[in-house]
Amino acid sequence: MSTSTITRNVLCVGIALAAFIATSAVIHSLLPPIIPKGVAAKLEFFAQHKDEFDTLFVGTSSVYYSISPEIFDEITRQNSLATHTFNFGIDAMHPPENFYVLDQILKTEPRNLKWVFLETANVETKLHKVLGTERAVYWHDWRRTALTLRKALNPRGDGRWYIQASRLWVARRDLAAHLNLFAQRFGNVGRAAEFLFPQNRKAEAEIELGPRRDGYRLAGHAMSAEEAASFQKRLADELAQAQPKPLDPQADETYRRYAARFREIGAAPFFLVPPLIFQSPIRFRETPPGQLLSFNDARTYPMLFETKVRIDDAHLTKEGAEEFTRLLGREFVRRARQP
Amino acid sequence: MLFVEFRFFWFFLAVFAVYWSLRENRNRKIWLLLCSYFFYACWNWKFLFLIIASSGLDYFVGTMLARTESPNKRRGWLIMSLTANLGTIAFFKYYNFFVTSAAALLAWLGLHPSLHTLNIIIPVGVSFYTFHSMSYTIDVYRRKLEPVRSPLDLACFIGFFPQMVAGPIVRATQFLPQLRSLRRFADVDVRGALVLFLTGFIKKACIADGVAPFVDRYFDAPWNFTAGSAWVAVLFYAIQIYCDFSGYTDMAIATAGLLGYELPVNFRFPYFAANISDFWHRWHISLSTWLRDYLYIPLGGNRGPAWFVYRNIMITMLLGGLWHGGAWTFVIWGGLHGLALVVHRAWSHRRDVLPHVRDMQKRVPPKGPQSFAGWLAWLLTIYWVCLAWIFFRAVDLPHAAPALRSFFFLPSHGTEDIGAWMLWIVAGLGFVHWLNFRGTFSTWWRRPSAPVFSAGYGCAFAVVLLFIPPHYAPFIYFQF
Repeated sequence: MSTSTITRNVLCVGIALAAFIATSAVIHSLLPPIIPKGVAAKLEFFAQHKDEFDTLFVGTSSVYYSISPEIFDEITRQNSLATHTFNFGIDAMHPPENFYVLDQILKTEPRNLKWVFLETANVETKLHKVLGTERAVYWHDWRRTALTLRKALNPRGDGRWYIQASRLWVARRDLAAHLNLFAQRFGNVGRAAEFLFPQNRKAEAEIELGPRRDGYRLAGHAMSAEEAASFQKRLADELAQAQPKPLDPQADETYRRYAARFREIGAAPFFLVPPLIFQSPIRFRETPPGQLLSFNDARTYPMLFETKVRIDDAHLTKEGAEEFTRLLGREFVRRARQP
Repeated sequence: MLFVEFRFFWFFLAVFAVYWSLRENRNRKIWLLLCSYFFYACWNWKFLFLIIASSGLDYFVGTMLARTESPNKRRGWLIMSLTANLGTIAFFKYYNFFVTSAAALLAWLGLHPSLHTLNIIIPVGVSFYTFHSMSYTIDVYRRKLEPVRSPLDLACFIGFFPQMVAGPIVRATQFLPQLRSLRRFADVDVRGALVLFLTGFIKKACIADGVAPFVDRYFDAPWNFTAGSAWVAVLFYAIQIYCDFSGYTDMAIATAGLLGYELPVNFRFPYFAANISDFWHRWHISLSTWLRDYLYIPLGGNRGPAWFVYRNIMITMLLGGLWHGGAWTFVIWGGLHGLALVVHRAWSHRRDVLPHVRDMQKRVPPKGPQSFAGWLAWLLTIYWVCLAWIFFRAVDLPHAAPALRSFFFLPSHGTEDIGAWMLWIVAGLGFVHWLNFRGTFSTWWRRPSAPVFSAGYGCAFAVVLLFIPPHYAPFIYFQF
């Protein structure tokens, strides 16, 4: 092949790629953002009632099934610090997905928000396959994808300015998976289905919002005797190995940014660690950007780790959730009154 | 790794760039072989050894066949190759089928032996690459082909990634000569290959995967559905399997084409076939011609009395059905097609219309039915083909029964409805297919200049991605 032929062919490939990117970008800008059903139900409801709530809990199923806004508001009212709370917990909504949802919440411009509780955890680089493609794709904008890639390539934040080949090899699957999801999102893969086969999600939305439409619902029953024995053993192991764990630098930095953004709209950020079996205290790397409430401590909160109030490692029964909400409410009131 | 996956794009980009930058044919083949094995290993690297063993054995057998003149010894070497290749297929695909069928038969006879099935993973594409491999040994045995000198050529032929896992089934006589000469990029019809790839992509990712959930929903519990739903599901399945398989083949041919290799055409608008014999000249052509040349003709073919020919047809079609998998539903599917071919052959001879049929099959592009009788024949053919698809799709006979009832216009007891309006989708897709059949889209994309074509291609791909359904369905023929 002559040089001119190669140049012409490369130019054609470049034109095709440019046309693809430009068309995808135009279509992407014209289409509304994709929000999967579980998230959409809460987001739509919150957008419609945003000014009615002054307290918001955002996190995973550990928040969703464990914090009852009704009880929380009752505790705060009894302590003369009345709140009106919405539970924005979503199954398996770990960082950085929660950061994307926080952006969507902030876009609704809530005017009366005073307190925001953010479940605090490290950035997840592994994908939960059970959640399905839509749930994996929707939050993969460039900012969140870049954050995940940074975490995958430099998990402890001590990497050099260049990427080590060994790290690249270790992280290859994560990199491929997240870049693929970013490409799917940017390429608007499958978006026509929303218009060709629109789904009526009203019934599902009602379930997601819970019986009192405050975002909270019950998870299930207490663990079996066999599961309880296993849980107790693992809890003992966790307690024996517990030592303070700093947040990864990517999560730390991003939580700080969102804390600042919530402060800008007049809301005080609280950072929450629910009563998980994971017993190592989570710490911010420097001064916390808000109050940190950690309940993953079986020595301080033994009542939350009794097997009769636990469903599994991360979830509480109705009794456990009520007890946890009361403890959280009291702790919140105490901290909120601190100067 | 699949042709419709994002990672395939990067994989192929690397294969393509390195392949054309290499000057030596031998280096190119080594690169192709490495890439092909990597492609297969992405699914399961352990079964790579099976392909390597199959290639090694057939290289050895081919060499031995060339060295000996004794008919008995030559036959012995051929039997050795066939036993190894068919034994591989028999073990992986049919062991459990034979064991369960034997157990059922013995139980019917009142015996209850302790027969155990195995938890066997079927290697992807085992039926395809063993057929590639067998075509080499048989053609060398028949002296139609000189045995390859380099094992690299044979390994490349058997393992060539575009056709390795789901065909088309390439003959050694078609492919090995291509490997011997250095391919020139100037001879590659890049535009044709790119359009073919996009066509295949649309067929598989948009259409086949789009209708798949409705088909799956119906065939999971067909007794719950209305008769109208059965019609929608069966017609959707006919669309799904055609678009899935021919889409994959289009992408395989296009991918090979971009590397300078020509793979045989596998589909020629089969649903516009004038009769069942014509259908088999248009559907999975590489399998039907393989079975014709390596099974039907050795059995006697068209020679001998009518009953002998009918026997040959039935054996070929029953084994063709069984080739798809170890299940009685596949055998019945093959049997139904065999029966239709026998009836058609008897009818054609009686009416003395066989020369007319032959002429019609030779027409390129075919014109489709031209008369009332032609339309009636087409309708009967498509009805029979769809009827046979019920057995092909159903997991077992009880799952096929409700769809069959509905297809014979008998009432259904089910109440769940997929939606009769979906028949409009069938009509719409059928219309587009008909336009394509008439050659409406055949050449206009060759007219614009290269930069305009490139820009249009990029835009078209971006629009096509919109129509990919959110769920993903694996290629149907991968299981075979």
